[in-house]
Amino acid sequence: MKKIRSKLISSVLLLLTLVICFLSGFKFLSMQKKEDVFPTEGLTSKKMLSSYFQTLKNTWGDTEVYIYEGQEKGGNLLIQGGAHPNEPAGFITAVLLIENIQATKGKIVIIPRANNSGFTHSDPQEGNPQRYSIETSAGRRSFRYGSRLTNPIHQWPDPTLYINPAGQKLSGTESRNLNRCYPGRKNGRLTEKVAYGIMELFKKEKIDLAIDLHESAPEYPVINAIVFHENSEELAALALMELQLQGFEFSLEFSPKNLRGLSHREWGDNTQAMAILLESANASHGRLKGKTSPALILEGKDKNYVKAAKLGRLFVPYDEEGVPLKLRVARHLAAVKSILSSFEELHPEKKTEIKNMPSSNEVRMKGIGPFLHPPN
Amino acid sequence: MQIVYNLIVLYLVGHLIWYLFREKKFWNKVCAVLVLIMFLLRLFLIK
Repeated sequence: MKKIRSKLISSVLLLLTLVICFLSGFKFLSMQKKEDVFPTEGLTSKKMLSSYFQTLKNTWGDTEVYIYEGQEKGGNLLIQGGAHPNEPAGFITAVLLIENIQATKGKIVIIPRANNSGFTHSDPQEGNPQRYSIETSAGRRSFRYGSRLTNPIHQWPDPTLYINPAGQKLSGTESRNLNRCYPGRKNGRLTEKVAYGIMELFKKEKIDLAIDLHESAPEYPVINAIVFHENSEELAALALMELQLQGFEFSLEFSPKNLRGLSHREWGDNTQAMAILLESANASHGRLKGKTSPALILEGKDKNYVKAAKLGRLFVPYDEEGVPLKLRVARHLAAVKSILSSFEELHPEKKTEIKNMPSSNEVRMKGIGPFLHPPN
Repeated sequence: MQIVYNLIVLYLVGHLIWYLFREKKFWNKVCAVLVLIMFLLRLFLIK
């Protein structure tokens, strides 16, 4: 009798285990679902990165590429967001562009989720929310808050020491950091293949100017910055002057020649494109933050950062108002616009004309929601 | 590499289930279940 009772208890516990596994697994796997993006009618074509590098097909590294082409020929611009999926301003800026713009001259290529795999999980032990929501004119849209790195389920194991394709020695986890894997490896790990696919896109789309959208923690020195390759020195200086006239403070950061594997270095070294990386201040992925919540992602308010600012430990102005997502996106939009107009000044024959690009001031005043397509 | 990993986890899962049915003390069974949840999620590469 005792034996039967014990076996019955074991069976019930095993059943309970399966239920818990199913529920938690279901929630975890829901992170793999992509949010819809609603391109404008001006979209010329939507491709996958695998159409530039076939090996990526049916892998988690494959990602959407949105192309807007004007009737007149001009310059070819690449805007990349989502290289680090825990830096939402880059991703949201790319989505805002996809959902608003039309090209009248030249070609605009937009990759919103450069590291698609990084969107499918969250950083362990960070307590990060899975999603944050933005209110649009007719309903709320939710977006994934992902991880800086490729999902270890999709790329495993990490080496102890990672020597990236450009020869830089890094810690093993960086083998899953897209912005350390350029110019990529044709037969490498998944993240290196994604980097290789993006380099192939540069060649096939004949990209002239490339902008990589990022965010960094307020205590990190390279912040509110335009990081430029030496081929974009003049361009970055001109854009900075224009931004300062608009009231945006940016710093200019030269891409170090001995820091290899990053977009602003390898794009410039390995392609004909002028390479720029933009950084804004994101409290939600800093080390000094308190509780990470959707509100921190959206409003950027954190009392620890206010205290750190008072102690002079931050590299950006930070007060009780925080640094909201709408301001970070507005900064990215203003910088993209200034870089484009400066590029036109330097290379009039490669002019790119974009219609209906949300203005940075409007985004700063009205927020992001009014410029997003309502959910279906 | 992934197959080797899965086989190791499957072996451990098998052991845990066997232990669960062999063990008589209730709280020891509960402890086994807590470990089993992690291993099953690993086995299906969920987390």
